[in-house]
Amino acid sequence: MGVKKRISGCVATANAVKLADVEVICSFPIRPYTGIMSELARMVADGELDAEFVHGEGEHGQLSVVYGASAAGARAFTGSAGVGVTYAMELYSPISGERLPLQMAIADRTLDPPGDFGSEHTDALCLRDQGWIQGWAATPQEALDLTLLYYRIGEDPRVLLPQYACQDGYFVSHIFGDVEIPDVAQVKEFLPPYKNHHVLDPRNPQIMGAQMEPAMGPGMQYQRYQAVESARQVIEEAHDEFGRIFGRKYAPWVEEYMTDDAEIAIFMQGGHSETCKTVVKRLRNLGEKVGMVRLRTFRPFPTQHVREALAKFKAVGVVDNSANFGISGGAGVLLTEARTALYGLGDKVKTLGFVAGLGGEMITHEEFHKMFGKLKEVAKTGKTGKENFWLPFEL
Amino acid sequence: MTKENLFEEPGLKQITVWARGVYENKEARDVVVAITEAAASEGRFVQAWENYVDLPDRIYVPVRAYGKISDQEIKSKYVYENEAPDIVALTEETLVKGVNILEGIKPGAVLVVNTRRPAGYLFKFIKQGTENLSKIVTVDANSLAKSIITLSGAEGATDASGIGKGMGAALAAAIVKATGIVQFESLLKIVGNKNAAKKAFEMADVVEVKTLVRAG
Repeated sequence: MGVKKRISGCVATANAVKLADVEVICSFPIRPYTGIMSELARMVADGELDAEFVHGEGEHGQLSVVYGASAAGARAFTGSAGVGVTYAMELYSPISGERLPLQMAIADRTLDPPGDFGSEHTDALCLRDQGWIQGWAATPQEALDLTLLYYRIGEDPRVLLPQYACQDGYFVSHIFGDVEIPDVAQVKEFLPPYKNHHVLDPRNPQIMGAQMEPAMGPGMQYQRYQAVESARQVIEEAHDEFGRIFGRKYAPWVEEYMTDDAEIAIFMQGGHSETCKTVVKRLRNLGEKVGMVRLRTFRPFPTQHVREALAKFKAVGVVDNSANFGISGGAGVLLTEARTALYGLGDKVKTLGFVAGLGGEMITHEEFHKMFGKLKEVAKTGKTGKENFWLPFEL
Repeated sequence: MTKENLFEEPGLKQITVWARGVYENKEARDVVVAITEAAASEGRFVQAWENYVDLPDRIYVPVRAYGKISDQEIKSKYVYENEAPDIVALTEETLVKGVNILEGIKPGAVLVVNTRRPAGYLFKFIKQGTENLSKIVTVDANSLAKSIITLSGAEGATDASGIGKGMGAALAAAIVKATGIVQFESLLKIVGNKNAAKKAFEMADVVEVKTLVRAG
């Protein structure tokens, strides 16, 4: 079995990258993800990890390096945060279009403004429809586990897609938490070596990323759509295998916390769900019928699973930790996705949007408490009135 | 759903260590890591982290490291600061001036300072928050071990230079002597410089604040 340590999400991710025996790493510093790369640089320098460690000239360069490395058949890793993530925007679609299963860790940071170091999911959510697998870790342990899970899912020949393994900056990336680091034999059993069927090799020349005619577009895009859809089954299989080998059983799509007989629930993703859980537990002890549903895989979005999970509640509060100005519903991405999933159920489940924790501010126990209070009121009266709330100003 | 104080954590102990950027931030981190690791070895729930906003890579700015210890699972897991410290420690004495080091301390809190000066002298410079302070502990940690200056371990990464090899081991020992937050034996198993820790445990001078107040 593995070793138990208290480490940050950054170090947990770096340990997973080492265990995955990644061959090419490309770095460029930006808080808060920097700790992942400084840890990997130390591992390479100390001879713990045999990998080509390239320091990029920027995030666009970083993604370009791993793009090439993955095309040449290497298991590749990179990462970024905040405006670093968006600076490399051009590369995300070509990488998934080329069906290269490299991995990028994102430790969230706000975009500018406010340009602070705090976490907001806005950065990673800007990339959400680029054909990558995407989801959030809520603890350092889950950050380690997501890295391993995503390489396995992305490299599956039925999928061949890149992955964003996201974690909340600072909260998950910097605070030390209990982590079990698995041993190499377990990881070898879970994650076979990466073998791509099309590899950039001068001995066997081929053109990759060539200019296409418009007539070829629909077919190529349809294939990428099919790859994302076929990832669904692979995601479930990978989580089953993960549970069997490592003993940590994650629900692949949504984690339900105290939802049995719950009348109201919070729907959210990421690290703040840990705070929400303590509020749910406290309110349960006071006899309130409350629960929480945490989204574990954001792309591909599990429409059916979210619908099934949320359909049993009278009212659902969707917590968005992202700034999405002018969006339908006036809250965030997750509210629109949740409402789409609930479409067809009519007015049975009332949905409220809560925008919280922007700029990296904490979402406090008291704020979750207020959200549940609002939901209770809506469940009782059956009426919503105002449906979107920007905290702390509007609730 | 309107009751107050629903989310209090009565068993939670908070340790805040103040230091000077670059020169001592590793020592501050070592103090909280050593004490929380010692507590974890005793079966308690712990957290350790560095203040995210203090910018420890700027020379000599005040920076903070935090520890939390509880007999129950920690509920306030993802926060920026210790809002109500039980223990405040300073890696160097000038932090008593101009920095509100005792902000938010709980009644009965303890202040531990790395200094050659007596508690009574330092006490004169602390302008705020002393009403909740019970003890001042002084220890000349610099005479026992040096401050290890490294950026290894910054940004949540692993500190490759090891834990408690420098002055932080002595400061941690003084904290343990004054508060009994962990068993001294548990701390000794974690820190690298066991000699400095043992000597600091003997040397540390614990002074009741009420005696200082009486002395005027």
